[in-house]
Amino acid sequence: MQLSKEIITVSADSIHDTGSHLFWTGPADESLTDSINEFGQAAPVLAREADNGFELIAGHARLSTLRQLNQPVLVRLVLDADERDMGLLYLADNAQRPLDDGMRLAALRYFQTLMNEKELKSDILPRLGIKPKSKDAKLLFSWLDMPGNWLAHLATGNVPLAAVTPIKRMSDTDRLTVEPLFAGFSWSRSNAVNLLTWLFETSKMTEAPIADVMQQAGMAEIMKQGLSPKDTIARLCTAAKAARYPELSILQDRFNKAAGEIAAGTKWRVVQPNNFETGGAELTIQVKDAAQLKKAVEDLETMTGISRWKDIWELGGKND
Amino acid sequence: MTKPVELPRHLRKISHVFVDESMQDSTVARRVRDRLNGTTHEGIPWTVVSADTDRVEFDEGDAQALYLKEYKGKFLRFCPGTRAYHCCGYRIIHIGENCPMACSYCILQAYFQDEILKIWANQDTLFKELADGFGADPNTRYRVGTGEFTDSLALEHLTGYSHDLVGFLNDYDNVVLELKSKVVDLSWMQAATRTDRVLPAWSLNAPFVNEHEEFDVSTLKERLEAARTCAEAGFRVCLHFDPVIHYPGWREGYAEIIDMIFDYVKPENIAYMSIGSFRCMPQLTNIIADNFPETNYIYNEFVPGLDGKARLLRPLRVEQFSFMIDRLRSHGMDKQLYFCMESTEVWNEVFGYSPKDFGGLGKRLMAQAFGE
Repeated sequence: MQLSKEIITVSADSIHDTGSHLFWTGPADESLTDSINEFGQAAPVLAREADNGFELIAGHARLSTLRQLNQPVLVRLVLDADERDMGLLYLADNAQRPLDDGMRLAALRYFQTLMNEKELKSDILPRLGIKPKSKDAKLLFSWLDMPGNWLAHLATGNVPLAAVTPIKRMSDTDRLTVEPLFAGFSWSRSNAVNLLTWLFETSKMTEAPIADVMQQAGMAEIMKQGLSPKDTIARLCTAAKAARYPELSILQDRFNKAAGEIAAGTKWRVVQPNNFETGGAELTIQVKDAAQLKKAVEDLETMTGISRWKDIWELGGKND
Repeated sequence: MTKPVELPRHLRKISHVFVDESMQDSTVARRVRDRLNGTTHEGIPWTVVSADTDRVEFDEGDAQALYLKEYKGKFLRFCPGTRAYHCCGYRIIHIGENCPMACSYCILQAYFQDEILKIWANQDTLFKELADGFGADPNTRYRVGTGEFTDSLALEHLTGYSHDLVGFLNDYDNVVLELKSKVVDLSWMQAATRTDRVLPAWSLNAPFVNEHEEFDVSTLKERLEAARTCAEAGFRVCLHFDPVIHYPGWREGYAEIIDMIFDYVKPENIAYMSIGSFRCMPQLTNIIADNFPETNYIYNEFVPGLDGKARLLRPLRVEQFSFMIDRLRSHGMDKQLYFCMESTEVWNEVFGYSPKDFGGLGKRLMAQAFGE
């Protein structure tokens, strides 16, 4: 492969821009239009000669803008480029763009048919800002054979990269069942991984499809409540966790009710510190001066007389 | 021509023997060679490992390698119990690492992620260290076992290791040796000169767990028949329910095996019996999921315990323990029963007392082991 030293001018319509190596194309932004209007085309696009004109190799946004402005295009020709060379040139030309996981995956998917896994790791991943032996590298490789609808969710940022691990453990049917959860909401890494893991594990434990688990957990109703995305995700997670840990959730709920009554009107925080592995509770408070300390001690004294403590002492034990 | 003899089922995956250069003429190496002769495994390759080899590599799918190694570390160790739970306090005689059998719940999967079964072939060094330890003070008593990093008897058919160890310990009145296994090999009995210093022990579980989670092991019936043979020969035995698994139908399953025990042995034949709920370091869960995709008990309600290991939620453990202890008590078991790595709370809830009430678990088991 070689780049010509001359720059030529051709009409925008003579350049075809549908090659699969243009894996990050999107609408051009206004600032590029403004810049071209003010200064003209500062940098040539890269293209190679094709049967009926030229094939664009890099510079899609510039070409689109120039086409819109009905202006000719400055082109630097690329000679003897194969599919791999074109992808690498496209990457190099877009090296300054901020990347997200969807873009990284799109690039990897392009190169995966052109080189082996070892080359992908050693040659392409570093160009995408990923260390070949990193956890993200493994996750990206796991995404390579995911169906298109999931790739779209990754590209929009609705599903995080790490979600692929629990998703791939699911059957095709279960994957279809959980997919709508990601259609309208942007999930954080921990929420997505937790929810999917809890659903999968509950399904395994109960030997029931995830659809049944979700139905029993009332997740469809939560989706229909018209809550904000943040509240919807929080409730879905709570429901999935309760399905995965039913006994623990019941204990926790009972503890929280008792603790709430005990500490009502005070700044004391009453928590169960170890998932009921031992009985009892942990009490904490923050005080900033002597007056607050005095009040905390008085509140604690009052709290000791509340009968609800008995429920906490016995929670999870044999007499519970 | 004589037809070659089959090895016991749990040894048939062994397809290669490695031996350290310095161990080629060891008793164990010679014995393994002799015992493979005339078997279907007579022709498996032997590779001598030179002293400058850092690590033996063996990766042939399911096939296993036996590695007769010169071990340079300490042979007599403490059990790696944690302070948050009551440990039985037994001492480990480290004779090797890894196990040829496949149990889904086994912690060795996390410890040793290869198919190399290591045996410390430098028995002379082992016996010297044990003699120095056990012989230092005849009044100090030891309850020891070899079943921590391997199964005590899994490789016995080839190595005769426990036979040698039992023979060596005949001279130490202050030592009781527990041989813990999931297979049946009683050849060590020929070396025992007294029956009150060896405790043959078998792991037991609910039949469902035995059928679905333990592979290449002896059946529960075979283990209990072996226990009866030992009892009839005058030995007391140990039985261990560890791990107890929480699965649908666990009541019927554990009731069945508990009742079955007493078809073979009497309570007075049992030195002690442990019960331990399934617990594991968090990374083992994924290993089990990968190695045993059909296994689903790992998705029960496990929470981080006080030692960082995943443990079944306490009320669920207590429910299982109470059921089992009640059933065992109805058969006449009592003081021989103990929990492996459980909290004071659980002891109190199930037994109504905890180890500090009887002076500590280690002390009680020492007395039980010595028949007091």
